[in-house]
Amino acid sequence: MSDQVNFEPADVLIIGAGASGATAAWNLAETKMRIVCLEQGGWMNPAEYPSAERDWEARAQDDFSINPNRRKQPADYPVNDDDCPIKIANFNGVGGGTVLYAGHYPRFHPSDFKVASLDGVADDWPIDYETLEPFYAENDRMTGVSGLAGDPAYPPKQSLMPPLPMGRSGQKIASGFDAMGWHFWPSDSAIATQPYDGRAECINLGFCLHGCAQGAKASTDITYWPHATRAGVELRTWCRVKEITVNDEGMASGVVYFDENGDEQFQAAHVVIMACNGVGTPRILLNSRSEQFPDGLANTNGLVGRNLMLHPYASIQGIFEDELDGYRGPHDSLWSQEFYETDENRGFVRGFTYEFNRGRGPVATAMTGAFSGRVPWGEGHHDAYRRLFNRIAGVVSICEDLPELHNTVTLDPTLKDAHGIPAPKMSYTISENSQKMLDFSVERASEALRAAGATELMIESPLSVGGWHLMGTARMGRDSQNSVVNEWGRAHDVRNLFVIDGSIFVTSAGVNPTRTIQTLALYITDQIKKRLANLFD
Amino acid sequence: MTDTIATDNPFTPQERTILQTLAGMIIPPSSAYQVPGADDDLIFADILNTARANENEVRTALAFAQSMDKPLQSATAELQGSPELNPVVTIVMQCYYRDDRVMESLNMEARPPFPKGFEVPQGDWSILEPVQQRGKIWRDA
Repeated sequence: MSDQVNFEPADVLIIGAGASGATAAWNLAETKMRIVCLEQGGWMNPAEYPSAERDWEARAQDDFSINPNRRKQPADYPVNDDDCPIKIANFNGVGGGTVLYAGHYPRFHPSDFKVASLDGVADDWPIDYETLEPFYAENDRMTGVSGLAGDPAYPPKQSLMPPLPMGRSGQKIASGFDAMGWHFWPSDSAIATQPYDGRAECINLGFCLHGCAQGAKASTDITYWPHATRAGVELRTWCRVKEITVNDEGMASGVVYFDENGDEQFQAAHVVIMACNGVGTPRILLNSRSEQFPDGLANTNGLVGRNLMLHPYASIQGIFEDELDGYRGPHDSLWSQEFYETDENRGFVRGFTYEFNRGRGPVATAMTGAFSGRVPWGEGHHDAYRRLFNRIAGVVSICEDLPELHNTVTLDPTLKDAHGIPAPKMSYTISENSQKMLDFSVERASEALRAAGATELMIESPLSVGGWHLMGTARMGRDSQNSVVNEWGRAHDVRNLFVIDGSIFVTSAGVNPTRTIQTLALYITDQIKKRLANLFD
Repeated sequence: MTDTIATDNPFTPQERTILQTLAGMIIPPSSAYQVPGADDDLIFADILNTARANENEVRTALAFAQSMDKPLQSATAELQGSPELNPVVTIVMQCYYRDDRVMESLNMEARPPFPKGFEVPQGDWSILEPVQQRGKIWRDA
């Protein structure tokens, strides 16, 4: 392979082909610069996704698990999350986390960028909603977002396709929120409800979290990447980056990586863009030690890897007497942002989103029943199982996490990946504010589900498997003492190094982050294009 | 899913017997629902094949089951809910609830979700009217 690879210096080298890397590659392609992207995994084949096979639910716990420590595929690296009550979730391959996300696709709100000014906590972002709005709109167009315009929880925004069906489950849960007089609205979803940009419309496979065999869900391997590669971007797969090198001037000079044969290679570059998520990016930066940067690249203030935010989730599920959607239909349906904005009478600041859950498959129902003691062994198994099957629905609360220095991604002293590269370690505790928010969200959701007719509730708080939003570990800011990158994503310490993934989040908001990650990738690469003449000043 | 021949399987005859007995204890047949138990030969072949990929965990669970100081069939109360048995329970559920006969008894078509997909009703969107009437709830910044 090495004989065919062009190792001449790239104008721009992007590390990671997921949500942000794909977006950046596409947006920079029109410059006609030589752009190379290194991705540690391979291209996905939707025909091999679990929902195309009879053992689809078993594979969700195996080779398509959201947890890399369980999945253990060749593209994965281990993550020590022993000191973290919320376990890592990610995906490595072209498309990154968008291959396995639900496609639940909210924007941030204007208030999310001003938490210090409005609520006296954390820091304001150095940019605001108004600045990002046109980039949100552009990303929506490239991604293909379904939803319903007019949500009173948001400033006006477009809707490109009709919303996903509410279904029996959405209707049932909505009846409870309606009875309480609370907000709910069709979720914005990165799922096509009509044919869109070569993608087929959703046919309710019901297994969005483990790859969309239909291609309706907007993973970036089928949205941005086809456009980017047609425009000349080179995407080099099965290439795992070991470290970023620097020259005598302290500028990034390229990266050392292992290719698909396990051979160590060097790719020189004039600009390096990190797009590896809130754990992968600090891992590479901390592994990039040199004379100029003995504590890791761009880490002179010691903030790389600090301020890890995760979004603590609570899961509140009801058991109903009526038959609901169960295994049918996409994960997304409706959301509620009744408790999104701060109300100090609640005992905490900031807020959360409820994401409505449609149901679960036959195996997941059996596991839920068996491990919660609701479905016994033996004689009573079948009756008890049928009282649950297609009768479970509920919500999860996505709680805003605030940055804290002691929540970190560091390098594990002993754990290494298959190439011998030190693995990351997550250390994290749930703050008092987040815990109060979780508890409040459980109480309110319980009221709504009971009002909807739930006869029993199943609660997990925090949701231990839910570490899929990885944010804050290379935060953005104008003050070089208090942040890793500036207000347009360039590292304070290294003038040709950019970070565009969730690492740069100043705060986490109470929503899924992918739409904002991609919007920021468009914004930052737009800034790069506008500043090409004096990019390194 | 059931392409393993017996000689490929790493489990001893005794371990297989214990596993099949446990499967039948967890999910027995039901004449009311006209479904086999999880110890049915076809389902058990799938269980055995799946267990192969989780050999160590399953073997540990089987050893735990065997350590009971009473016959397995009368140890349900002790074994049910034991975390040591979780690997076996997981595999039994995974294999049982993808069997054609079981899926059909649940009014499911015996097929994967793709490519046919499923029908989901739109629902009655008029339920949004009170939410709309309430007006803006986002906060100016």
